[in-house]
Amino acid sequence: MDVFLQQVINGLSLGGIYALIALGYTMVYGIIELINFAHGDVYTFGTFTSLAILTGLGISGEVHGPLLIGVVALTVVAAMLTCGALGVLIELLAYRRLRNAPRLAPLITAIGVSFILENVMQLWHGPSPIPFPQVIPNPSASFGGVEISAKQVLVIALAVVMMVALQLFIYRTKIGKAMRATAQDREAAQLMGIDVNTTIMVTFLVGSALAGAAGFVSGVYYGTTWFFNGFEAGLKAFTAAVLGGIGNILGAMLGGFSIGLIEAIATQYIPQGAQWSNVVVFSVLVLVLIFRPAGLLGESLPEKV
Amino acid sequence: MIRTGRIARLTTFIAVAVLSACTGDKSDTATSSQATATEAASGLVAKIGIDLPLSGGDAATGIPTRDGAVLAIEEANAAGGTGGLKFVAYDLDDAVQGAHDPAQGAQNVKTFVADEAVLAMVGPFNSSVAQAEIPITNDAGLAQISPATTNPGLTKGAQAAKLRTSHPDVNAFFRVCTTDDRQGAAGAQFARKLGKSKAFIVDDDETYGKGLADVFEAQFKTDGGAVVGHEHLTKGQNDYKALLTKARALGPDLIFYGGTTVTGGSLLRKQMSDTGLGKVTFLGGDGISDDEFLKSAGDSANGSYYTVAAPETSKLPSAAAFVDAYQKRWKSPVGPYSANAYTATKVEIVAIERATIANGGKLPSRDAVLKIVAQTTGFKSPIGTIGFDQNGDTTAPILSVYGITNGKPKFVEQIFLRI
Repeated sequence: MDVFLQQVINGLSLGGIYALIALGYTMVYGIIELINFAHGDVYTFGTFTSLAILTGLGISGEVHGPLLIGVVALTVVAAMLTCGALGVLIELLAYRRLRNAPRLAPLITAIGVSFILENVMQLWHGPSPIPFPQVIPNPSASFGGVEISAKQVLVIALAVVMMVALQLFIYRTKIGKAMRATAQDREAAQLMGIDVNTTIMVTFLVGSALAGAAGFVSGVYYGTTWFFNGFEAGLKAFTAAVLGGIGNILGAMLGGFSIGLIEAIATQYIPQGAQWSNVVVFSVLVLVLIFRPAGLLGESLPEKV
Repeated sequence: MIRTGRIARLTTFIAVAVLSACTGDKSDTATSSQATATEAASGLVAKIGIDLPLSGGDAATGIPTRDGAVLAIEEANAAGGTGGLKFVAYDLDDAVQGAHDPAQGAQNVKTFVADEAVLAMVGPFNSSVAQAEIPITNDAGLAQISPATTNPGLTKGAQAAKLRTSHPDVNAFFRVCTTDDRQGAAGAQFARKLGKSKAFIVDDDETYGKGLADVFEAQFKTDGGAVVGHEHLTKGQNDYKALLTKARALGPDLIFYGGTTVTGGSLLRKQMSDTGLGKVTFLGGDGISDDEFLKSAGDSANGSYYTVAAPETSKLPSAAAFVDAYQKRWKSPVGPYSANAYTATKVEIVAIERATIANGGKLPSRDAVLKIVAQTTGFKSPIGTIGFDQNGDTTAPILSVYGITNGKPKFVEQIFLRI
């Protein structure tokens, strides 16, 4: 039982990282139906930016007290702003011109952007894993043999907080309303006086900023990163978004946590589980899509005419 | 698919970077071989081809290796060759644009083959280069001894058979270093010596890593240890907490890792601390013997051990005289493979001398030299009393174990492998 609960905690904290990335995937898909393959790399870029900021501040180990809050806030905000700006730039340079092109064109472009980012980051820090300073002290609490560390709490909490904030942003603000309108029917929204370009830009800004925050958290959580980190994480996050119902904010989080849990549990209870966990994850995905083609929380929308 | 290639290149890069970090000053060595080349003008001249990476990033290990070979030749000449026999070092660089290059290696070997006075050769340094060269020396019947290539497939099994294209029944490729697969056995021997009895094995599912882990498992069990689990990592994954939680529940006193730093080594070690396994011994092969492992695993790297498929020459009693002579001659520290190159060259010198006597004092054929090299056994050398088995591998594999304390690797002990 202890081991099971421990694996649940492992799964939830892994799922938290997937969920944070999946939020950005699902937002972009929801609004322009583009699978933004570069999103995983924007997330890695967030880790790299955070690393650069921490290095710039001369921080290489644990920080305590008020300084900790200051450092973390500064790093997270800077990483979010940088990644947000990067997202906007990508949209501006690579996707905007292709908005009315056949759907395959922006998809391939997204893969191209992903390659560019990976190679830029490889140039930046080289091809090897790079250590990330352990800024946050990591005490762990034990509940009858089950251990939960501060970092795990941070990851899970951040995913939930971000999800709630995003939900509020989309359903309670004017720009959120514009986003929903654009998602429903871009032309109609334009006719109603909504600036579609700005709305899409904001979507990329927010989605990429979330990836930036996730990048910082992953750096702190794993204590290391490398230029190719976003590939696998992006793939899993995309799967999470599809599992939960792509375009659905709550679904992205549910999908992320589910995939993290499935991975951890499969690793524990299947012989050679570490190798088979991906098989289990994708089998579950296939099963869910057979019975609920729009994902766990997705609504099947009538085909747009 | 793309990623496999990338990781392979990465590992070579890291290996080279680490090796180059190990050697220091390498001045005044570059002109040595040209000097020896002009000395021998008359009489019987036998050339020994030396193919190593001598420029660019690989030069840091390539040049001390070459110097070991040249030292053997100089000593033989100083001792007065049998029947007026003079040896000449004929060295060629297989590095192109700063990195070892299989095509250039093959070209160099063709140059050796075309020169009738070349009766044997030493090299190459890298397994990929050897792969390109073995078919050529096999075709020419030119004895080739490598000081440093550790890929098992070069001498063993179906892969090796494929390289012996012209004469499948003749083996012309030998090596005085041991192979990667024996690291697993050495690791098991060392782990048992540390008193470890319950091992949990993790590998990265690649040729090198899985091979290492499988050999470790077999040897560890033979030696009376228990293997409580053997899991494989998935490419690209970087969260091993679930895997390590599973391991912890099984209560191992050792985690053996078959793989490289990049395919999961440093993350695994780091996350061991996060999952309550920080005090459990971590053991791996030379895939984690790099600075990257120390850097990215940080403090958690302490308490890890790894094996390297070469002896630590400075600690080997049999190598003391060689180390002295080398430092006197080159005024620079011995490289990790200098003693191996010295030994390889010496085996060839002795073979050429014997073949010359057998041939009535005239230069022997390459085939005659090759036959004697192949029969080498009980040969006293700085790296122990060596011989070759039917595959061309050394019968006296010596490996080293290093342990990490205070963020720095320290030599722990030499493992003389039982075969």
